[in-house]
Amino acid sequence: MKNSSPARGWLFFAVGLVAAYAAGVGLVYAVSGSLTYVHLVPILLATVVSATTLSWGASGFSPLTKGFLGLTLGGLAGYGLGLVIDLLVQGSLDWVTPVASLFSLLIGFTAFFLGVAGLNAVSKGLIWQIIGTLLGAIFISVIRVAMGLAWSGPFLFTEPAWVLGGFMGVLFFLAGSGSVSDWFKWARGIDTPEHHEESHTGWEKYLSISLDHKVIGIQYTITALFLISVGGLFALIFRTELAASQLQFLTNDIKLFGQSGPQLYNTFMSLHGMIMIISILLGIAGMMNYAVPLLLGAQDMAFPRLNAFSFWISVPASVLMLMSLILGGFDTGWTGYPPLSARAPVGMQMFFLGVFTAGWSSILGALNTIVTVLRMRAKGMTAFRMPIFVWAAVATSIIALTATQLIGLAFQLVMFQRLLGMGFFDPAKGGNPVLFQHLFWFYSHPAVYVFILPGLGIISELLPVFARKPLFGYRWIAMSSMAIALVGFLVWAHHMFTSGMNEYLRVPFMYSTLLVAIPTGVKFFSWVATLWKGKIWAPTPMLFVLGGVVVFLLGGLTGPPNATVSTDLHLHDTYFIVGHFHDTIFGGFVFPFFAALYYWFPKATGRRMSETLGKIHFWLMTPSFFILTFGMMRIGLLGMRRRIVDYDPALNFDATHLVLTISGYLIAISVLVFIYNFFNSIKNGEKAEGNVWNSRSPEWQVPSPMPTHNYDQPFEVVGEPYDYGLPGSKYVEFITPVKSGQK
Amino acid sequence: MSHTQDKSSAFSQGVLVFVYLAVLTLLEYFVAVTFNAVSILVVVAVIKAALVMYYYMHIYKLNEDSGDDQHSDAYKTGTNRIGLWLFLLSDAFVFAGLMTARINLLGLTRPHLNQLLGLAVTAVLLISSFFMNRGETAMAHGDKKGFFINTLITFVLGLGFLFGVVAVEWPLAAAEGLTPSSGVAGAVFYMMTGMHAFHVFTGLLFMLVVLNNARKGVYSAEKHWGVEAAAVYWHFIDLVWIFFYPALYLIGKLL
Repeated sequence: MKNSSPARGWLFFAVGLVAAYAAGVGLVYAVSGSLTYVHLVPILLATVVSATTLSWGASGFSPLTKGFLGLTLGGLAGYGLGLVIDLLVQGSLDWVTPVASLFSLLIGFTAFFLGVAGLNAVSKGLIWQIIGTLLGAIFISVIRVAMGLAWSGPFLFTEPAWVLGGFMGVLFFLAGSGSVSDWFKWARGIDTPEHHEESHTGWEKYLSISLDHKVIGIQYTITALFLISVGGLFALIFRTELAASQLQFLTNDIKLFGQSGPQLYNTFMSLHGMIMIISILLGIAGMMNYAVPLLLGAQDMAFPRLNAFSFWISVPASVLMLMSLILGGFDTGWTGYPPLSARAPVGMQMFFLGVFTAGWSSILGALNTIVTVLRMRAKGMTAFRMPIFVWAAVATSIIALTATQLIGLAFQLVMFQRLLGMGFFDPAKGGNPVLFQHLFWFYSHPAVYVFILPGLGIISELLPVFARKPLFGYRWIAMSSMAIALVGFLVWAHHMFTSGMNEYLRVPFMYSTLLVAIPTGVKFFSWVATLWKGKIWAPTPMLFVLGGVVVFLLGGLTGPPNATVSTDLHLHDTYFIVGHFHDTIFGGFVFPFFAALYYWFPKATGRRMSETLGKIHFWLMTPSFFILTFGMMRIGLLGMRRRIVDYDPALNFDATHLVLTISGYLIAISVLVFIYNFFNSIKNGEKAEGNVWNSRSPEWQVPSPMPTHNYDQPFEVVGEPYDYGLPGSKYVEFITPVKSGQK
Repeated sequence: MSHTQDKSSAFSQGVLVFVYLAVLTLLEYFVAVTFNAVSILVVVAVIKAALVMYYYMHIYKLNEDSGDDQHSDAYKTGTNRIGLWLFLLSDAFVFAGLMTARINLLGLTRPHLNQLLGLAVTAVLLISSFFMNRGETAMAHGDKKGFFINTLITFVLGLGFLFGVVAVEWPLAAAEGLTPSSGVAGAVFYMMTGMHAFHVFTGLLFMLVVLNNARKGVYSAEKHWGVEAAAVYWHFIDLVWIFFYPALYLIGKLL
């Protein structure tokens, strides 16, 4: 099979799907004599097998086929290995031991990347992460044996062993993948060239260590899309359970990853939150990495190695997050409040470690962004001639650089409380659980501004392009991003109105929170004024920009009721909060992120994504999303609590929940359309090498895709960035003329 | 005291700053054991921190003009400097968080610790900062031998501090009943000193790397960013201790 054939691919897909599902059902029945797990094992098996046959039928024995084959075989082999190890340790065969699932995940993942591109940075890193995790865990186990303590626990090793193992796994990943090789050379006094020659030219460079900010930006974006899919899948799983009252899907007789159905619900619900947060952090890092140096006219970020490091550390972090699902999960929600988090299963510790590790990605990426903006600007690019997205990137980076440390610290304190019995949050020892909430929200509230500021920057950046008018109130917009970032540091305790903190703190935090509406209002005023009498042109990126504005408006308007103490006492912990939050994040991140992807896709690939599929994506996602969040807010106001697996049928929420679940699935389908469009357009998209959107921004003045070191000729900023439609105005001028010229 | 100076006046400036810091440390101790006025202790700590940041960490160098040529070494050093300071700012939030936890959990009380031992390890760390400054100044003036001797002394003193905290103070405190799991005071004490000791440890590793690279002849009077970074990082560790020491040993009533 040499030539590619989609039709044959779908045929093979169908065959693989049915055969693997049947085989899975048969396997479960043969092993357990019942069909308890019938909806989980066969689905997983059918997914990986049908992906393999789809790829095999469509493109023959291609790298992707080998990858999926590796995933299937590695996953099965890992499961078998885990079963054997568990049998040796426990002395009895347990078909659903979490140990088997853990090895299945780790080995399957590694085998996927081995199949796709052989021994490269990812597969080497993952192999070393497995080795490091085992070494760390065995090290602690040996010490425990020497001290006369038990070495094995319900998840093979004890909790301290898993913590050190998880930590060492991250370090081994970094060393094994080659992310820190240059620094080790520097430490030994060996100089390395400023930039390396790319070891690969094709798609393989995205799976190897690259110092090019554009490659790293795309690596971030792809990882973010992967995690969005994982987090979305988790949401679909628990949304399915919520479709009707009582337990039908995640029932009590399920036993998977050491958890019953309702416990799995808690874990999926908690991980949905944090995996989405990490995917958002990676998504904004992707946009910032790709666009900021191009907008500034820089060759690269200020610290290319640190940049690569920031990306690569997020990979073992993601693995840790998935490990937390398997190692018993946890039931605290993404916030991890003690005292519950002080006694959740060992998965809690993997979650803490994963967040801590991902936090370093965010901190170091932010550091790099700030230094790049301060030091790498093109000639003539004064502060108030910088593109607005750059301002947003700086504002967001200020928060990420500093506040992130406090969630890391808060989680570390709980880790140590669990490991050494340190009583920070244990009232029996004089500790204070509310302190955790202060430390936690000092990051986690500003974090939402980390998520939305780049997105709001994208909206301001793209609106003038598609309205063909100058951006209204450029300076105010630039300053409003900074104002949101700074005020954002002063509002955290509005999450704690019902926590039992000192009551006199409520009113100042209420007012500081309401203050955020002012700079946000400035942005809305500017967006509306920019659209006013513009020559609006609405290809897919503009649709997502406009969608983002409307959705974010809804998120903004539903905010003050939560910020006001009197109403928040009723709304706290209800679905109203969930609806509000999803509105702000979809409006502030998801819509602008999709806009940015559609907008810069031609710059990165030299091709554009299909407009038809893009519009299907938009018109499927937007109404479904409105129904979803309106429905959430409606039942929230009527008293539906968040984070619970079941609700009283007498509340009459069944119909609404069913609609919410259906909208959730529709959103998932629209994202699948996007993912198909994205990967299909890389190869088959319409060629677009010029200034597709007729933009004034410097990166569009040169042909796509960008060469490795960005601009062949440096440019000088000679005018205002957003003077669209003003005759004779110019933003940048190349210092020696280039072929495509200024428009 | 101006910034640009010859080698001998740079050295004597280091001595003078060290004398100020030593006097302030003694004053702080005296205030603590006599009338324990928290406001004075805070003011003294802030003055000490300002002295270290200005004269030892050279924060004013952030403002230095490094030209317009983005490919020159001077420009790159300026960029590195901003990067390092932003990292320290970020790291400072960890310590600020620990300090918040300490204030929230212990308030105006302090754990039962040996105040003289605290003063001793503080003195060791302060003296190590003095020698680190001498080492860096020597390198900046091309005196590689002076750099080696002073940095080695710093390294030994740093090791002494680490030993004093982890191998002397911790067992002593534990023998008095202050263990990580004994109560919230123990938790705060071990977490704060532990986090600080971890940074001392990384600072010592950094110093070893710099010493080794200097031995290989990597640095010169004009180009020694590695030495500067190691020195600034070391002083930052001292800076943290300037606040942690009174917070753990001096402020408030005994529990």
